[in-house]
Amino acid sequence: MKMYLRLVSALIQGVEPSDKEKKRNKIFYIVMSIIAGFGIMLPMTFFVGVIIYSLTGSLVTFGTAQNGVELFLHLISAFSFIFGLNVIFSVFYFSGDIENLLPLPLKPYQIIGSKFTAALISESVMEVLVIIAALAGYIIGAGKPIWSWLVAVIGTITLPIIPLVYCGILCLVVMYFTRFVKNKDTVNKITGIFTFAVIIGIVFLISRSGFDTNELIKAMSQTDNGVLAVMNIIFPHVPFLINSMDAASLWQMIVYLAVNVAAITVFMLLAQLLYFPSVIGIGQGSSKSRKNSSHIIEKMRMHRPSITYLKKEFDILFRTPAYFTNCVMINLIWPAFFYLIVVMQGRTNFLESFIYGIHSGNEETVLLFMLGISAASVLVTAVNCIASSALTREGKHFAFIKYIPLPYIAQINVKALVSIIISGTGMLIYVIAACIWLNTGIKFILFSCMLSLFSVTFATYFGIYMDSVNPKLIWDDELNALRGNYNIFFNMAMAIVIEAVICAGSYLLFKFTDVGSITIIMMLFVLIMILNAVSYLLCHYKATKNIENMLI
Amino acid sequence: MIKFQNVTKTYNKTVRALDDVSFNVKGGEIVGFIGPNGSGKTTTMKLLTGIIKPDQGKIVVNGFNIKEDPIKAKQSIGYIADSPDMFLRLKGTEFLQLIGDIYRVPTEERKERIETLAEKFGLTDALTSPMMSYSHGMRQKMMVIAALLHKPPVWILDEPMIGLDPKSAFELKQLMRDHTKDGNAVFFSTHVLEVAEKLCDRVVIIKNGHILYNGTLDELEKQNKNQSLENIFLELTEK
Repeated sequence: MKMYLRLVSALIQGVEPSDKEKKRNKIFYIVMSIIAGFGIMLPMTFFVGVIIYSLTGSLVTFGTAQNGVELFLHLISAFSFIFGLNVIFSVFYFSGDIENLLPLPLKPYQIIGSKFTAALISESVMEVLVIIAALAGYIIGAGKPIWSWLVAVIGTITLPIIPLVYCGILCLVVMYFTRFVKNKDTVNKITGIFTFAVIIGIVFLISRSGFDTNELIKAMSQTDNGVLAVMNIIFPHVPFLINSMDAASLWQMIVYLAVNVAAITVFMLLAQLLYFPSVIGIGQGSSKSRKNSSHIIEKMRMHRPSITYLKKEFDILFRTPAYFTNCVMINLIWPAFFYLIVVMQGRTNFLESFIYGIHSGNEETVLLFMLGISAASVLVTAVNCIASSALTREGKHFAFIKYIPLPYIAQINVKALVSIIISGTGMLIYVIAACIWLNTGIKFILFSCMLSLFSVTFATYFGIYMDSVNPKLIWDDELNALRGNYNIFFNMAMAIVIEAVICAGSYLLFKFTDVGSITIIMMLFVLIMILNAVSYLLCHYKATKNIENMLI
Repeated sequence: MIKFQNVTKTYNKTVRALDDVSFNVKGGEIVGFIGPNGSGKTTTMKLLTGIIKPDQGKIVVNGFNIKEDPIKAKQSIGYIADSPDMFLRLKGTEFLQLIGDIYRVPTEERKERIETLAEKFGLTDALTSPMMSYSHGMRQKMMVIAALLHKPPVWILDEPMIGLDPKSAFELKQLMRDHTKDGNAVFFSTHVLEVAEKLCDRVVIIKNGHILYNGTLDELEKQNKNQSLENIFLELTEK
């Protein structure tokens, strides 16, 4: 047990920034933690709690108060599974510590057990807040007794276990049966693509089935709910947790815990059987084929340094499975979720009046559309973290940036261009598609594209500046460059806060003054341009200084 | 070609890694930099290449002050870092193309240099593979080729022999000699005293951020008669 705890502690420390990195800029960490706490975590927790509280309140009258929270916990479990899959693949098979762990006298289940626990802890921090908020919303909404709070605490800690166990089992089985495939990066990438394909497939199926929020609420009010019945088969632990809370039943709690223990036992047995055959020799898996290089050397031509540097950045981003999935593929997933939200609204509600508003040139609708484009562009750029991990991704060879004869700002510009190309291309496609769908004019499309692109540029330079303050340079595998990287989280928090202020300010200006929407949109455009200038200057003067002063 | 004058470097305002250190490396010289672990060797290398900044002092490489004219100074340097695990997702040719473009190596010269150096270090057939598939020694050889690709007048090499097989180590030593014959300079750190003994015109011995000795090995041996270089080194650094 002692050894297990030590291993878990060591593995968690591998994900977190080092003490040296944390100490490097303590004030920055404190200020950003406050902004992230008050800007993202608290509002999100409060929002989830209120939603579940209201839903529970409206379902109490039908005698199905638990259906709302039950569905929510199923969704959380599904999200844990989807987003945990890549993490588990990377942690079990592609992390840098494997070569150090395999020679130790440890059994496969001990290695997997500690790796799993470390991944569970580091992946569940945000999730725990959402779960406790949902359960609290339910307990207050349904007026449950003290016992429910105890169950809620146990549930909050243990709920993410089974989805991650599913990830673990899937990972072990896939890697066992693909152990003869030489290029493991391909397996890793295919898993990432498969995950996204599943998400997009689910979104597509939901949209094709004529899904409607009103129908969902109606279904939630029925005691024999088909959606929940299916979800209860996939995640069988959830209903026991809810029932234990609902009926203050110790027996249900014991069954809930027993389901978790059974899942972990099966998982550990599989780990004992499958892990070593599939992990041993994984480091030597890449291509060993040797071809004569003379014809490639013959084709070499001199290019501008920035062109080759840009190609290098793209090559690394697309060839590294962790970056490919989290920085590139992620650009596909958010529009899918957005599409799902739009579809869930149904054509009768907000969307119908929105389409009408755009067609009729309604000032408020057009303003909301433009604000939405700017906010989405900034958030997509922050979420894909290409910019906010631009320096972090250099890792141990950060010194390369410093000893080559290329000015720091030139290197920053190339890194920014990568983010602008990937985030901007994605956003432009979505903006153009939305405009065509809304049947807007060409001028409207052009302006929307410009606003989107400049918002992306601002978020890019700002992200790089944020990363330059304190890049996480000590990581043993690429996923750890992104996981547990506070800079990425802080940058997202800042992006949300800045956009929230801009959007709220613009909307309030429209609502409570005589200023027209066109003027406000122009002001928004000018503001984004000013933010572009500010973030570029931050990079030019501050980020370059930060790089220059970085001790490595 | 290297002027390292009165340089002081302190980490986190507490750890003084270098304390008023001065030495020069002239054209045509191979200078070995020797010292126990934590003595300040890598800090010196990083200061020379502009990776970190000194608190005090002046560093001039090939006539360019690293602080005032960093790009020209860096263009003059061929640097091998202490870890060869760099850009492992790139193929050998892609990495060399990147280095060639960054250091503005003309196309024909680049092709000729890559072919010659790859042949010398036995990497010709591996250049088309991702560097991830290379052994540690192959990665080190790749760093050597990359550092020498633009024919830099000043070579700054941090433990360059680590991981090299005997043939490659021999080739590198030969290259170092040839390089200095043309009036260029080589400054390299090593823990292998035999290498320093056979290769260096001069050695600089450092401990706790202070220079203990700066001169030829012959002079050092004359001062400490009947003692092996190993004993002299141990005596100097364990005082």
